[in-house]
Amino acid sequence: MQAGLQTKETGPVGSLEDAAEPLLELRAVTKTFGEVTALARLDATIARGEFVTVVGPSGCGKSTLFNIVAGLEEPDTGGVLRFEGRSCHAADLLGQVSFMPQRDLLLPWRNVVDNAILALEVEGVPRQQARAQALRMLPEFGLAGFENQYPHQLSGGMRQRVALMRTFLFERGLMLLDEPFGALDALTRAMMQRWLLDVWQKYRRTILFITHDVDEAIFLGDRVLVMTARPGSVKLEQVVDLPRPRRPEIVTAPEFIRLKRILLEAIEEESIKSFQSATVREQTS
Amino acid sequence: MSIDSAALSLSSRGAAGRPAPWHDWMRKAVRLLLGLVIAAVVWEGAVVLFGIKPHYLPRLSAILAAIAATPQAYVDGFLRTLAETLIGFVAGGAFGVLIGIAFFRLRALREMAFPIFVVSQTIPVIAFGALVVLWFGNTLLAKAVIAFYLTFFPVTVNTLLGLETVDPRQVAMMRSFGASRRQLLLRLQLPTALPQIFVALRLASSLSLVGAIVGEWFGDTTGLGVLLLQAMYTENVVAIWGALLASALLGTGFYACVAAAERRLVFWSAEQ
Repeated sequence: MQAGLQTKETGPVGSLEDAAEPLLELRAVTKTFGEVTALARLDATIARGEFVTVVGPSGCGKSTLFNIVAGLEEPDTGGVLRFEGRSCHAADLLGQVSFMPQRDLLLPWRNVVDNAILALEVEGVPRQQARAQALRMLPEFGLAGFENQYPHQLSGGMRQRVALMRTFLFERGLMLLDEPFGALDALTRAMMQRWLLDVWQKYRRTILFITHDVDEAIFLGDRVLVMTARPGSVKLEQVVDLPRPRRPEIVTAPEFIRLKRILLEAIEEESIKSFQSATVREQTS
Repeated sequence: MSIDSAALSLSSRGAAGRPAPWHDWMRKAVRLLLGLVIAAVVWEGAVVLFGIKPHYLPRLSAILAAIAATPQAYVDGFLRTLAETLIGFVAGGAFGVLIGIAFFRLRALREMAFPIFVVSQTIPVIAFGALVVLWFGNTLLAKAVIAFYLTFFPVTVNTLLGLETVDPRQVAMMRSFGASRRQLLLRLQLPTALPQIFVALRLASSLSLVGAIVGEWFGDTTGLGVLLLQAMYTENVVAIWGALLASALLGTGFYACVAAAERRLVFWSAEQ
């Protein structure tokens, strides 16, 4: 209690104490669905202002991890979930984390601005005020002049930026991005990655970012978590100490290549495991 | 090239592909009018040319002349039937949507009551009409109730169907924003169901007119159904056709209004 009060008094300017206390902490988190164990004793911490990326073979429980952190799914009893220094249930995180799912999931009957303010509206911010706030943000998201367009009039990249703006406007300590650029073509994706880093550096949010793409994970993250094959846990935690701001050509730097080799090796091992267990299941069934 | 200019060039291409809406609308109206004129000419011409007896098909001009001779009866009948249709339609639509929502929310209620709803729809409307007249007498309300009876069921079914098409990922997203059940319903589920609801409302617009006209057959003094019945008893073929044309005008006009409302409110589903 005393410690909690002290951190509050030091204010939002990131002091040493603040940095020392992780924003989100998962200890021995397990989640089973009937027979299937999706996550097994997963440990992870995320510090304030950190950009953490998660990679892993398909079906490794990444989405389950996200759903737990977003408050949509309750982990099995026994694990510990701590947010902002307090132990909590997953359900307590509903409305506390700004979550961006894989697809943009824009509502087709709302124009760009009204889609962007959806979360604010749910929160109870008056519509006019929320709209004004969104309008100020439009240029930064490359959407100036598009405020009255509807989703079907936008390109894939623009739709994704509207969804990101919706996530950014919902100002929460932690942003969860679930493969936000997975559906985009390679060029648009590269552009969006650089743009996301710019915006992140300006607003200094804490981001947990799921991806399939090792390059993306290294390029964006301060730290990369590699997940094991199902049941999922953290196999490897790799700090990315590449300088920021990161230029696009950094992907050819020797240090980048070295990190990529380490990560690919770890993922490869897990992919083989999950492939083998799938084949075994096929043979036995 | 920046992101902005790429997007701009994309959207301007989309705009150029579409003709101006006003121009488009005019062309459609002119074609519709032309079609009606041609149909009228064919009707009139066929009756004269093949010497069809007025007992089977009177000339269009004779029917229009008969309507012009006693316009008040048709205007009164039109307005009365319109009122019955509208009340039944609005009540049936609102009730259908509400029950659809209730069935969606409460599975137990749905399993209890849905079969009863289905059974209610298998009763022929004529049999049900007799009961309604016993309850409400020969009033405007009685006709509206029969229109309601034909209207609410399709709206209930489609509301339920529409609500069930909601993407669970969108529900998850709204929940992660901290949305309450009410916010979920108003901001996500109902708008998602709207296209389906309108499919049923278009159907209901025709059904409610049928209900009103059938209701009038149980006894009344004004209404298009009354005009039809009187003409039938007196074997006045011209008057039957007059009442038919007036009913067609009412039915088409009402359907067109509902369809126009649909185009305005559900603008996104046609363009996706």
